This record gives sequence, structure tokens and C-alpha cells, in this order.
Amino acid sequence: MLAADLEIRTEDRDFATGALVELLEAFRRLPEGGVLAVVGRAPLLRRDLAMWSKLTGHGLVEVAETPQGEVRCAIRKGEVPPDTTDPAGPGERLWIYTNFHCNLSCDYCCVRSSPLAPPRSLDRARIRELVREAPVLGFRAVYLTGGEPFLRPDIGEVLADCVASLPTTVLTNGTLLAGPRGAALRDLPRDRLVLQVSLDTPTPEGHDRHRGAGSWERAREGIRRARELGYRVRVAATLPDARSREEMDRWLSGQGFAPEDRLVRPVARRGLAQVGLPLARGELVPEVTLTERGVYWHPVGADDEDFRVLDHVGTLEEAVAAVQGAWNDERLTSRRLAEVFHCA
Amino acid sequence: MSELRIGAVAYDPKVVTIWEGIGTYLREEAQCPNEVQLFLSYPAQVRAVLEGRIDLAWNTNLAYLQCEAWSGGACRPWGMRDTDLGWTSHLVAPKGSRVRTLGDLRGAKVALGSRDSGQAAILPVFFLGREGLREGRDYQSLRFDTDAGKHGDTGTSEVEVLKAVLDGRADAGVVSDPFWKGLTAKGLLRESSMQVVWTSPTYSHCMFTGRPGLPESVGLSFGKALRGMRFDRPAHRAILEAEGLREWLPPHAEGYDDLRQAAREQGFFDRPQVRTIPAA
Repeated sequence: MLAADLEIRTEDRDFATGALVELLEAFRRLPEGGVLAVVGRAPLLRRDLAMWSKLTGHGLVEVAETPQGEVRCAIRKGEVPPDTTDPAGPGERLWIYTNFHCNLSCDYCCVRSSPLAPPRSLDRARIRELVREAPVLGFRAVYLTGGEPFLRPDIGEVLADCVASLPTTVLTNGTLLAGPRGAALRDLPRDRLVLQVSLDTPTPEGHDRHRGAGSWERAREGIRRARELGYRVRVAATLPDARSREEMDRWLSGQGFAPEDRLVRPVARRGLAQVGLPLARGELVPEVTLTERGVYWHPVGADDEDFRVLDHVGTLEEAVAAVQGAWNDERLTSRRLAEVFHCA
Repeated sequence: MSELRIGAVAYDPKVVTIWEGIGTYLREEAQCPNEVQLFLSYPAQVRAVLEGRIDLAWNTNLAYLQCEAWSGGACRPWGMRDTDLGWTSHLVAPKGSRVRTLGDLRGAKVALGSRDSGQAAILPVFFLGREGLREGRDYQSLRFDTDAGKHGDTGTSEVEVLKAVLDGRADAGVVSDPFWKGLTAKGLLRESSMQVVWTSPTYSHCMFTGRPGLPESVGLSFGKALRGMRFDRPAHRAILEAEGLREWLPPHAEGYDDLRQAAREQGFFDRPQVRTIPAA
């Protein structure tokens, strides 16, 4: 469950019987950006908090059940500033989680991947069917992620299927690219495939502290190898504070990465991350995301129930409709609020 | 009838649709030729009425009273909505909070809407004063001037009031009855999670206001034409629903006395400052 800065127990009280006042008393003590957990048994508590979050803009970032059967709602104090750096709108990018196992154990992995995680793969035939549907439905790019996609023995074939339909980006930790797995890259079209490699810091210390000893060197080697092969490489850094993000961006610029190939972003408090920016589903523009367990609102919450909008993967058209329906529901509150007032 | 120049304030994109509908109805069904002019603020519309640049203005209660005051009574009322009668404002607080009566407001923080909103600021401050509670002395205010110039029409300041009460920045806040009822009717808030601590006396809201010297026959004809819109006719109904009424009424001038006094006390009848632009 998401780590909280403060926790209150409302027992069997909901907003009509005192829980709102208890919440406000705790909320006043909470710093901006902090997380308050509200734990209780009242049947209407979850609904009250969901409505409250939509009205006030403070994000309801997780709803979970405790081992004792209580509901635990985590609320982040403050609104998330809108992300104006990403030009893609909903429906332009199709995200596919190829698998969930990974050769690294990053301590802030948003989908809890590690060498011990079950593979949970979408098979190649399903991926091929889905990406074939994508251009007709208006998608402009495919993004493959995991887990570490290059752990799949058939990653070369999967990538070939994807680039045949749409320009494709594969997200990787880069550590396997210089080894035998990198052979998958030999014959793919350079103008249809981008490699997005995770590299957090200019020097090994910061990167390796979160991702494991030696991983920085191997990622750097992977980047070098991919560039040698003629691929466009985008570097993605995940950092908790703005100052280190600025430093990394400057360093990448010095390494010859163009602005569009430098993605420096904050840590999302999801999955294994105990720090970072807590995010509610409605605060993110949805991007259709598929895993073997179903359809999700956005890739950052692809292992979380509150981001799941469909519990199976059928056709891509069905997946798009499910995300669009969930998006409409999220926007209903602000539309209703605007309609409340009839005046002159 | 010569062409009437009618003013309205575009506080929302839907105003264009509403006034295209009303203008077309007046012209084509009520033989009332007209041209609608949209303004971006009530102060601008009030100036246009006083200078005779428009014949009639669809005004908020404050804008109507300013026209009346600054014209020495020469600007007269000519029509209103059925829903403009009997407005109230509510002081609301979270259920179970320490603010349960007006007496509990002493030392509390009260959220108020835009300073030029009759329903969310001017009248609440006035009515609370009548109950012996003075802003700054007995309670602190948290004001949201989010739609200044629109006289509270957009409702955004009342949304901010509600948010401030719901997340603890204010102990209580004032919203209008239509806003409050809309929240619960649309399922945005469970009514039982909040308590209405106090409800204001009733007052009236919008009013069509004529320019100084508008012939009585013209004002009466215009009011009669408006009242020809029928809720049971689908084409009319769409416009009436968008504007938030079932029936246009003749002017009822008696529901404005409290706001007249409140606006005078709070300086809303002070002459607007004339800004001169220096030569380059």
C-alpha cells in the first residue's frame, strides 16, 4: 500500500457522521504534496472521499483494502500541475506491456517488476493482432515496455510485427543490448524503431543506488551499442527532485542528445516507490495500455487495480472504448459543476 | 417598432446560443426587430446603458441597481425570470464542525465569492452585519474574486468557496441556493455531509433594465414580447431552459431593497472612476 505521511482511522463514520471534520483536522497538519491515509469501515466512506477529491482537486491516489477488511484511501494534498511538455493526446499512443519480469530490481519500479516477478507476458500472436488494428483506430505510435522486453526470447519478432504497423518505441534498461539479446536489433528498420533507455544520473552512484550495482555501466554500453547500430536512442531519467533533473538534462545535452531525446521526469509514487509524486488516475490524460491482465488507464499504473478499466484484452477497439468511457466518467464532475449555475 | 439594441454579458460561451435564440424569437415571432450586443463585463454594459448606446440590458441585480442609482432613477426595470424571485444564500459548514450557529462564526474564517457577487459576497456580508457579525472584526473572510466584473454569474467563485470549506481552508462559506441545490441534484455532493448553518432572507436576482429615456411604450412592448415565449413550445423551451427559467415575468421591483442598501454601504454606488489615457 502507498506510504502515507499521516493516517487517520474513521472507524464506522462517513462524511455525514463526522469523518469529514476528522479528515479536515488531519489535512491542516499535512504539508503540501503529502499523503493522508483515511482508514475506515463505513460503507459510504469510499464514495464520500471520491466525490470530495473530485470537487477539491486533491488527488485520491489509492484505494485499497486492509487485511482487516477496512477501506484505506490515500489522498495527496494539492493539485498536480498540468503536464504541458507532452504533445500527445489520448488515443495517439498504444502502450503494450510485453512482460513483467526484469533482470533489475529498481526500488521505484511503478509496476513492481524484478527477477522474482512472474513473467506475465502477452504472447506474440496477440500483440500482432492488436498492433494491426492500431492504425485504423487512429494510433500513431506503439510503445513496448515491461519489465524488461529484451528478456523475451522472441523480442526480435515482436518488434518486427510492431514496426510493420506503426513507428515503435521500446523501453529498456539497456543492460542487455550489448549482449546476445541485442542480436534482435540487427535487422530491424532504423527509421521505425526508437530505443528508450533508462539512465538516471550522469555518474553511476545515483543510478546504481536504485537500480543495482553495475547497471549504469551496462546501460551506457547498451546506449553506445544501439547508436553504433544506427538506432535513435532516447534517454529517460527518473529523479525525485527538480535540481537533479535539471543537472541530468544539462548532462544529456552535453552528450549530444537532442531535446526530444531527453526525457527527465519525477518519480511516480506507484508500485514499489515509497517516495515521489502520488498520482490519481483522473489527473493523467489516458493512454490505452494493455497487459495480459486487461486494459489500463495509463502505463504508470499498469499493475494497479484503480487504473484498470477492463479485466481482459479482447479487440483493440473494445479497449479504446473502455478507456474512452472511463475518461468521460472522469470528466463528468467538472462538466456537472459547470452546469450547476444558471444565471443571467 | 424601430430596432432595439439589447445588451447581455457573455459570461459563458452558451450566452451566444441563448441570445441568438432570444433575438431570433423576438424578431421573427414577436415582430420586435433587435440587435443583440454582448459585453465582457457588467461595468461595460452598465456604461453602455447610461450613455444610451443600448436600449435594454439583461442585468444582474447589482448592475440593475447601479443603472438605477447612477441615472437618478431614469433607468427602469422591464422584465425578469420567474427564477429571479425568492433567491437566498446559505452559510454552509462540514457536518459535525464547530460552526453550528451564527454565534459560532466569531473568530472563524468564512469563504466568500467574488466581491461584486450579490449572492456570494455583498448580501451575505450585509445580512451577517445585521446579525451583529462584522467582517474583519467578528470573523475573517477568505474571498475568491475569480470572476470580477461578471457579478458572480460564472459561479466559479462559489465553486472556490465550496472547495475552501471542503478542504479546511475556511470554517464555513456562503453559496447561493441555486448553486447549493444544483450540487446535490447533480450528485456532486452528499447533502448530509454538510450542514446549512444559516439561510439569508430572500432577494431577487436579474432584471432587464432600460436606458434613460426609453419610451414606456417600448419597454412595455418588449416585456410583452418576452412573455410570449412558452415553455410548452419545444423551440422556446430549449432557450428558456438554457437561460434557467420557465416563464418571463413583468418586473417585480420589491425584492431589491436589501441589496440596494448593502451596495450603498459597501461602496458599489460610488461613481466609477474615469480613466484617462495620457497622450503618447
